[in-house]
Amino acid sequence: MKSLAFFPRTRRMAIIMHLFLLGYVAVILFPLSWVVIGALKTNREMFLDPTGLPADPNWGKFIEAWNAGVRDFFINSVVVSGVSVALIVIASALAAYALTRMNFRYSGWVYLLTVLCFAIPVHAVLVPIYGLLSDLHLLNTHLGLILPYAAFGLPFSIILMYSFFYEFPAELEEAGKLDGCGPWRRLWFVVLPLSRPVLISVAIFNLVGVWNEFLLATIIMTSKHMQTLPLGLVSFRDQYGTDWPGTLAAISIGSLPLLVLFVIFQKYFVRSMAGMGK
Amino acid sequence: MSELSINGLRKSYGATEVLHGLDLEVSGNEFVVFVGPSGCGKSTFLRSIAGLETISGGSMTIDGADISGLEPDRRGVAMVFQNYALYPHMTVAQNMGFALRMAHVPKAEIARKVREVAEILQLEPYLDRRPMDLSGGQRQRVAIGRAIVREPKVFLFDEPLSNLDADLRAHMRLEIIKLHRHQKGISIYVTHDQVEAMTMADKIVVMRDGNIEQVGSPLDLYNEPVNRFVAGFLGTPRMNFLDATSTGVANWRLGLKVGGMTLSPPIRPDADALPEAGAPLSLGVRPDGWRIVAEGDGLAGRVVHAEQLGRETVVFIELEHGPQVAMIQPGQYRLHSDDAIWLAPAPDELHLFDASDAALPVARIPRTNSHN
Repeated sequence: MKSLAFFPRTRRMAIIMHLFLLGYVAVILFPLSWVVIGALKTNREMFLDPTGLPADPNWGKFIEAWNAGVRDFFINSVVVSGVSVALIVIASALAAYALTRMNFRYSGWVYLLTVLCFAIPVHAVLVPIYGLLSDLHLLNTHLGLILPYAAFGLPFSIILMYSFFYEFPAELEEAGKLDGCGPWRRLWFVVLPLSRPVLISVAIFNLVGVWNEFLLATIIMTSKHMQTLPLGLVSFRDQYGTDWPGTLAAISIGSLPLLVLFVIFQKYFVRSMAGMGK
Repeated sequence: MSELSINGLRKSYGATEVLHGLDLEVSGNEFVVFVGPSGCGKSTFLRSIAGLETISGGSMTIDGADISGLEPDRRGVAMVFQNYALYPHMTVAQNMGFALRMAHVPKAEIARKVREVAEILQLEPYLDRRPMDLSGGQRQRVAIGRAIVREPKVFLFDEPLSNLDADLRAHMRLEIIKLHRHQKGISIYVTHDQVEAMTMADKIVVMRDGNIEQVGSPLDLYNEPVNRFVAGFLGTPRMNFLDATSTGVANWRLGLKVGGMTLSPPIRPDADALPEAGAPLSLGVRPDGWRIVAEGDGLAGRVVHAEQLGRETVVFIELEHGPQVAMIQPGQYRLHSDDAIWLAPAPDELHLFDASDAALPVARIPRTNSHN
């Protein structure tokens, strides 16, 4: 009989939890849908009925925004984000694998330093980074943004991969040794194919950060044709200050890639993040 | 015919030595079982042979070639792991052919060998499945198949049946033995299960605390254990030990006082070290070495519990002047708890151990094996 008394209570809890989650989803989805719907309205509709639906959805603003400069920002963002995330994934996987498998002298210190780097805020080193990139003539180049992005993405990625590799079953790698794999082949044929969740998590996590990064991009990409999406969208808004649907269309285009990627890979992302506390 | 020779093998972790200079010779197509309690170093010994542990001293040769410093895949060994260690992202066929792929064997040749081994192990229907879609027994067969495909000189098995249920374990024991006979080559098998050791081995290596205690055939070890540890480790229920005192030697007989009983077993003709009168000894009697005797003729005890197994009866008895002992009697004995019982060891079933636990081959007459 105890279970019967218990049942309504858990049911009530479930309903409360779901109501809370629904509210949370609404808070997240409202601005997002407002942006997309706003892009389909006329400027007049925007001001007369900001939260209403468009009478005649106008998809033309997306093409207009794309041709008015969003395309360049988009390409810059894809190049910078793609290369820096690839660099982060490759370098952090190699570093974490070496740190967990090769007991070289001071390997513990190297890991500790990596953790310490995680604690350095970008604001604290903004001026030296600018000076360094200026000396290397990398201002207003893709590489000028890729290098600091990769550097700042590495510590957290290494920590995440370190904990994953640390718990990777030793027997599988030993089987690899007996099957004729050296360290590189073990990493390539045995460890990495089984590390997909953590690799994808690292990629998505960094992609979100890099795709939306503003501060470093502001000081490094001063030339308009090199700007990435977040930076470009600000100047876009200034330029088309009165054209709200156009601005919202540009923002929608900028947000779309991450949303799509996240929906596709969220399974891995959640799994890997959930395993972090182990 | 392969030959594995191990000389003075040592292994240390920092300042702690875990294998203390082990020597072992294995030849022909022997099935060797390393057995011992947890932490005795048997798995470390096996892993050292595999090359998964770097040794701290000594040498190992296979067919005369020193393998001590070689990478695991260059040693001519293959290993079956306790948890199978199959690659979860590969199919059964890919798992089995992986070593050959790493050795750049042509694809057609890999496919042929994998099919051949799959046929022996009846794995053909599963070649395209992934390990997670297989049962425990099937996974174990894939792990064995992966080892066979490499055609090694030495097969290494690290407690491969410990994750299977009792029925499947008995079945796989037989399968492994049949495969060993079929494949030829040396097999080294690690287990903590002495029944597995007794039933599978041509040669048993009993280990304790990083040392080899005794090497020999299952029956040699059972009949002639070199010390109390080996005597107690092999056989279920284990050997019973009772405190005894020597009363000296007279007329080719050794006088013994055990509890309230005196024994005078004949001395073996080859006995060299005879215990002096008054020397404290340990008397070992296997459960099947007891005889039920008339009241007053032996050691008095009370039945604690009798396990009726049909073909035999296992009786646990609390001795009046001694420990609890186990006795196996062929046939069905309807004994009940608290029944009084008198028992005595059969004179030719006595094992004696001195104060340092070393066996004294004094009284026991060796069993003769009719087919040896």
